[in-house]
Amino acid sequence: MSGYQTGVLVFLAFNVIAAYSVYLPMAAGQLNLGIAGFMAIGAYTSAYLSNELGWSMLASVPAGALASCLLATVVAVPVLRTHGIYLALATFALGQIIAAVFLNLEVVGAAAGYPVSEYVSPMVVVACAAGVVLLMVFLSRTRYGLYLTAIKNDATVTDLMGVNVRGMQISAFAIGAMVAGFGGALYGHHYSFIEAQHFNVLLSVFTVLYVLLGGTQTVLGPLVGAVFFTLLPEALRASDQWRYVIFAALIILMMLLRPQGLLTASLLRSLGGRKQGVQQ
Amino acid sequence: MIWQQLINGLMLGGIYVLIAVSFTLAIGILNFLNFSLPGLFMLGGVLTWALLGAGWHWSLAMLAALLAAAAVSLLVEQLSYKPMRNADPELPLVSSLGFLVLMENLVIVKWGSDQQSFPALIPDFNLRFGGLIIGTAQLISFLIAVGVVLWLSWFLKTTNTGRRLRAIAENRDTAEILGINLARLVPCVFVFSAVFTALGGILFALNYLQVSPFMGENIGFKGVAAMIVGGMGSIWGAIVGGLLIGLVEVLSIYFFGADVVNILVYGFLLLVLIVRPAGLLGRPISREKL
Amino acid sequence: MSATATLGNAGAMAGSAAGDYALEVRGLSKSFGGLEVIGDLSFAAPRGKATALIGPNGAGKTTVFNLVSGVYTPTAGTVLVNGRDITGVPSRRRIHAGVARSFQNIRLMQHLTVIENLLIGQHVRAQGLGALFSPFRLMPKHRWWKEAQQALDECGLGAYAQQTVGALAYGIRKRIDLVRATLASPSLLLLDEPAAGLNPTETQDLLAHLRLLASRGTSLLVVEHDMPFVGEICEHVVVLNFGRKIAEGTLDEVRQVPQVREAYLGSEEE
Repeated sequence: MSGYQTGVLVFLAFNVIAAYSVYLPMAAGQLNLGIAGFMAIGAYTSAYLSNELGWSMLASVPAGALASCLLATVVAVPVLRTHGIYLALATFALGQIIAAVFLNLEVVGAAAGYPVSEYVSPMVVVACAAGVVLLMVFLSRTRYGLYLTAIKNDATVTDLMGVNVRGMQISAFAIGAMVAGFGGALYGHHYSFIEAQHFNVLLSVFTVLYVLLGGTQTVLGPLVGAVFFTLLPEALRASDQWRYVIFAALIILMMLLRPQGLLTASLLRSLGGRKQGVQQ
Repeated sequence: MIWQQLINGLMLGGIYVLIAVSFTLAIGILNFLNFSLPGLFMLGGVLTWALLGAGWHWSLAMLAALLAAAAVSLLVEQLSYKPMRNADPELPLVSSLGFLVLMENLVIVKWGSDQQSFPALIPDFNLRFGGLIIGTAQLISFLIAVGVVLWLSWFLKTTNTGRRLRAIAENRDTAEILGINLARLVPCVFVFSAVFTALGGILFALNYLQVSPFMGENIGFKGVAAMIVGGMGSIWGAIVGGLLIGLVEVLSIYFFGADVVNILVYGFLLLVLIVRPAGLLGRPISREKL
Repeated sequence: MSATATLGNAGAMAGSAAGDYALEVRGLSKSFGGLEVIGDLSFAAPRGKATALIGPNGAGKTTVFNLVSGVYTPTAGTVLVNGRDITGVPSRRRIHAGVARSFQNIRLMQHLTVIENLLIGQHVRAQGLGALFSPFRLMPKHRWWKEAQQALDECGLGAYAQQTVGALAYGIRKRIDLVRATLASPSLLLLDEPAAGLNPTETQDLLAHLRLLASRGTSLLVVEHDMPFVGEICEHVVVLNFGRKIAEGTLDEVRQVPQVREAYLGSEEE
């Protein structure tokens, strides 16, 4: 594999991890517009532990994910009191605050950025992304995944069925943040350098777009979205800036023509149904 | 000195008021969180700068920038709002974010991603009241911002079109049954909000003598904060919220330095969302009826 | 007869053991911003039987359902289910107290299949983290699938298991909503206009379904406008108007009450 191909593959792996961190709360109907902030928490925490305390990556990367998860749990309690657009804005504000905090934190380099001593190889990043996908597929096959969908559809009815809606929402938000923190921690260790400016609103927004464009009805939607919208701009590699122009135009077009996303539940069922028909 | 900072905060707040009013129009009347508005804010400033650079008279350059913003806004209406107004609320929101990304990158393709310096159109003449200094550009911008918003408030209260718009805000279905022609009024809202926010972008450029493709992200997003703090859908809320965010920003620079501005402004937003999501002047959110 | 005539044996009710009633509400009131929707409402639904809650539109019937199921908190009064005071119990815990409900506008999860909807209804019987994180959807023979399928089969709806709810006919969806509500084996089932919009065949199927539930000892509280339907199934009737009880008894008894004729039945019969 050429260096370029490896680069694209790693970029894709990070996008897939990020997409699933947005997907999980979104499966329960929560739009998290601040996911970049949680990536930053994971990236900086693990980088600090590796650099300053000499932790092994095997400990510092999970610790970064855990830190992000803990922060999410703490803020989820007040933030999830808000709904719909208010929740989206609260997460948006949260993302801005976290990025601004790291931009000013001298101990991790502030605006100058923060080099990371340990290095994660491309294949490990890709394997971790595959692990995240498998974890999500697993969750989607449990009652947990089913209840998230139920909450998105009708939270009141789900509550009356005895499901702890708030607990489910908090956990989806926190697990999503954990995945984001995990991705951020790997990001820092792979590129050996992090800067707060990277974890901005647009990173959050792009991540949300991968998910929505792929489709939120099925667990594979975010994967399809991340793959399609990472590789397509690569294929259209005219110039760097034009790629984003094309990407943005595609977003608008996709929302217009196929708002439910590329992959829908009924599409998946009809594909699955055909397979079963062959077997019988 | 603190009074000087308060004045500066109010002057900056005037620009936030314009953006917040744009957001509040879109959300109050159409229930649409229009994230293309920060892009239009940027477009107003950057296009004016580009046309001035091409030798246009300042009045024509500004007019053209406002018209361009209005045209893009109508495109947003056709492609983001109209087809998706009955879908999940995040779809039009995301689609309008697509427009923001599109505008930013088109500007970068054309003029690069650097910050550009905007010519000083208004002579650098300072008015002095006691120990306080107010720049002419500052004062003119503030008066224009407040004047335009007060005019809007008057317009919504007294004119026929204004009353119809408020009827749509009150209840869309009822308004439609009463024979209000939504197809003609909705574009009005988009034009209004585009012109206001683009005007904000021009005034920002006039005051701070700089434009950049990212000014929408850096400045325009604070207009969202201003709207929420004041109360979604309320014009007076947008005015109060805009001025308040301006004050918070300038005072946090004065007391803590420029670095912590985002922490304080967005921290303030988060606090309001948690403690009083309806904002300072907004109506409480009604509960879903079963 | 007094203005709020109460037929039947209201006096005897007060003296009897609390556990005799599937549902008992005492002095229930609910106001929204100063507007009283339910005022000082007391009635009891006998155990193992079907009780109808009737009254003109806007009488507050659905509000009573929302108060009993915990969607609203009452301004005053108490709600007892099987003799247990559940007034302060949060809505999601009420299904554990045996209360389940259906909705006037069917509230199934449209994008999910019929059987997935039923799996959600099973929640009460699948508690704990082990149940929550068991990947049972990879195991087609898991007992949860079998139980849900069986519940469908019993009502003659087995063929719809794998279909998406949104694509089904109204009458079928209504029945599936009912099946879902019964999966938690509630002792008290609240049904909001179960017969509305059904054709005569579907209504007969529904009656058979409800009789099956009654035979298993489930108590029903039914809001319904279809009087022949109420007559078929409900032995006890409570009449509401403007949020207050104006009569209680058998259908034939409440028919005789002038206020009831005035408020409700009169307009239909004449």
